[in-house]
Amino acid sequence: MAGVIDEYVATLRRDLDFDPTLARRLADEAEAHLREAAEADPAWPSAAAEQRAVARFGLAREIAAQFAADAVERQSRRTWIMLAATVAVTFVAMRLRVVWLDDLGLSMSSLAPLIDRYAFVAALAVGTVGWFAFRSSLAPLAVCLGGLAASIAAGIVRAGLFADGAPLHVLLAAAGEIALIGLLSWHVFGLHRRLRRTAALRRAG
Amino acid sequence: MLKGHLDAIVLAALEAGPAHGYAIIETIKRASADTFDLPEGTVYPALHRLEEAGLLSSAWMTPPGGRRRRMYSLTKAGTATLADRRKAWGRFSHAVNALLGGRAWPA
Repeated sequence: MAGVIDEYVATLRRDLDFDPTLARRLADEAEAHLREAAEADPAWPSAAAEQRAVARFGLAREIAAQFAADAVERQSRRTWIMLAATVAVTFVAMRLRVVWLDDLGLSMSSLAPLIDRYAFVAALAVGTVGWFAFRSSLAPLAVCLGGLAASIAAGIVRAGLFADGAPLHVLLAAAGEIALIGLLSWHVFGLHRRLRRTAALRRAG
Repeated sequence: MLKGHLDAIVLAALEAGPAHGYAIIETIKRASADTFDLPEGTVYPALHRLEEAGLLSSAWMTPPGGRRRRMYSLTKAGTATLADRRKAWGRFSHAVNALLGGRAWPA
């Protein structure tokens, strides 16, 4: 039969399931801590000694919620850095496309170039406001992701319309855009998951 | 009030040398004469946060015949940060003491 400490450590591991590496490490640390604390109890060995050690350690959900909040902060920082990188590469790729199409003397009257340009500008504006005013919020990141994705999709359609003889640097820049938008989506999704987990732990705690 | 200073308190508790979480909590309780009787588990988020910030380093160690423990120690950046926090706390506590004690500041 599992002891009080075993059950507590299992609960802690479960509550930290948003980060399996952290869950393993903290479970090991907490178990060593709890066993030492229980052994220092005058009533050791007994379930009461383990119970007191667990009570002094604090609620597993509250400890997991603190880790989850720290994870949100880290993930948020990483996501904003990824957004800045995506904006920079998208801008370079967009300029390369414009220069290339201008050199060819091709018309820019279709809808795709407008989306390419203005979706990017909108994403940049929302990102700038979001960075200064709503840095811990998911909304500006999601809007920026949408704007950049629209800009990149439009840019690719635009380049696809004139694909014959597209120079390598234009294609490479487009590949960079696609790779970064994929990474940015992954980061935004990760932040969304961590925010939900933190909120759930806080509600339950 | 303690929560805002937990990181500095943990750094101070490690000033004497490397220690594991349980020993750090015991040091904090002893040094504060049990004034800071916080839930013991709350020290771990602080330890991990400080390690992430490069102020602490850690490694698993097993003493002969003992239990395997994660030992934390101050890095150079951690030592410098502790010195900064001490200075800031000195100024802050001096000002609060002066205000609450009704003395002029700077005293």
